[in-house]
Amino acid sequence: MILCGIAIAGFTVTVVCDIATRTLGRPWLWLQEATMTFFIYGVFAGTAAATRRNDHLYLAVLAESMSGRKRLAFEIFNRAVVLVVAFCMSWYGYLNFLDGFKSLRMPSMTPLASLYAAIPLCGVLVALFTVEQLVNGWKNGFPEKPAP
Amino acid sequence: MSNGLLIFLMAFLFLFLGYLGVPVAFALIAGVMAVAAFTPVSLPSIMGQLFNGIDVEALLAVPFFLMVGELMTAANVTSRMITLSQAMIGHLRGGLAQVVTLFSMFFAGISGSSAADVAVLSRTLGPEMKREGYSGGFIAALIASASTMANLIPPSIMAIVYGATGNVSIGGLFLAGVVPGVMVGIGLMIYSYFFGPVGVQHRRATFPEFAAAAKGASLPLVIPVIIMGGILSGFFTPTEAGVVAVLYILAVVIPALNRGYFRQLPRDLAHTGLLYSIPLITIAASSAFGWMLAYLRGPAVVSGWMASVAGGDPQLIMLLLVALFIIVGDFIDAIPAIIIFMPIISDLTQNADIKPVHMGVVIIVTLAFGLITPPYGLALLMAAKFTGVRFGRAMLDSFPIYVVFLATILFCIYFPDVVLWLPKHFLPQSVGCFPNPGGAGYICPP
Repeated sequence: MILCGIAIAGFTVTVVCDIATRTLGRPWLWLQEATMTFFIYGVFAGTAAATRRNDHLYLAVLAESMSGRKRLAFEIFNRAVVLVVAFCMSWYGYLNFLDGFKSLRMPSMTPLASLYAAIPLCGVLVALFTVEQLVNGWKNGFPEKPAP
Repeated sequence: MSNGLLIFLMAFLFLFLGYLGVPVAFALIAGVMAVAAFTPVSLPSIMGQLFNGIDVEALLAVPFFLMVGELMTAANVTSRMITLSQAMIGHLRGGLAQVVTLFSMFFAGISGSSAADVAVLSRTLGPEMKREGYSGGFIAALIASASTMANLIPPSIMAIVYGATGNVSIGGLFLAGVVPGVMVGIGLMIYSYFFGPVGVQHRRATFPEFAAAAKGASLPLVIPVIIMGGILSGFFTPTEAGVVAVLYILAVVIPALNRGYFRQLPRDLAHTGLLYSIPLITIAASSAFGWMLAYLRGPAVVSGWMASVAGGDPQLIMLLLVALFIIVGDFIDAIPAIIIFMPIISDLTQNADIKPVHMGVVIIVTLAFGLITPPYGLALLMAAKFTGVRFGRAMLDSFPIYVVFLATILFCIYFPDVVLWLPKHFLPQSVGCFPNPGGAGYICPP
């Protein structure tokens, strides 16, 4: 959550500075890169935080209409799917990150990998939070999801 | 495996996992990854598609417009707009129902999200309507229907996503959304007046009362002027207009109307950060899904079929797309629907020589309608939950309101000149007009 706040505050400031420097006739081109960096990291940090808080968009919350062992089985299955996706994001995201060193961002010439890194990091965090939910859910039962 | 089978498998996995309760973004990624394993596509490149889906500058506008709505709601500035709406039309038959619609039109000009509108109305006017004897189902149906205007009247997050992914002028979509937005608003007012509950008859506000309410709401009502003024004058992009609106609220509106709110600002900033990441990760996942769909030549098959049924008739093509999106919108959220089906829309728009802004506004109105249709009418689900009504009850009360939306969609299809009048006059290039080489003004092809 705090990282999300920092990211949104960061790219608000960089967009303001971008408008200001452009209006003054001396644009700082690197500001657009900084803005996208805050934006992308904010999205992936927020994704991990939303996983922990069960705040994602859901099509339906079928498991909530159930109770007992059936509900437990559904909740565990759903989190197992999220865990597999998180693993894919971590491993294939890491391979994509390595690939990102071949491309550069303009004008700073920073490797694109600096942005691609957000995906495996998000994958690791999502996996950690999902395991945390599985352990807590197994011990104390799964919490209700918020309204859609 | 054939492409058709792979597309079926991908769609089935997404819907199956989604309806089991896996978050939409993860269900989409799971479907894409599973199918990619049967194709020569490398799995790391799917991760690259996730990134490409959100590495679009225009999408930066989304968090700012969400922040505008959050700040206005959290700082309790919206109550002044409700007071103004009450002073203007609270004395009519079904007074509070009329107020809900008018307030939604005002609020739509500030926030681009239906969710914020539903949350505000359910907590403020919802209980008051219950006290005046309106049924719970009617309250939920009306609030949900009125909140869809946030997707039509600028600034609309749906329009930003549509423009960013379909390479269509966002300013043009904003302006083209005004006519259907106002039509839905007026339609809801007419419905509430003639067919809704009578409610409690309020006395007409006196001129001093109206003037006081207008004065109280004047600062928030400058926000739409800043946003649209900045975009139309060409001084701001939609993203910059959003950030200027945020600064205006922080520097002018909140200090003038609710100074004590600043203590809560860091917490709300963090909350907005979380709030914007949820649609955007869904956009990223949908973009990978849409890319895989295009790789498997799904859009070419669907658009080929539609073109063979409709021939070159643009109106029939739009009707078929509306039918497709009404069905799709019943099962998946608007934002993934736009991104997944964008290759089909673009193909048909180009082949039938339809103006992209016209097609965009028709699709956006249809998807806004999808917010109140079962089983996945997100606005109706939220309104029912917040007002404490069973979804089935709210759904039954929303059926008559469908007429308003269907009439608006048909109007948008058959009267493009009216819908595109505003973009043609204020942003001519957005609808294909070009500067007259021989003199002043623009030349607009028919």
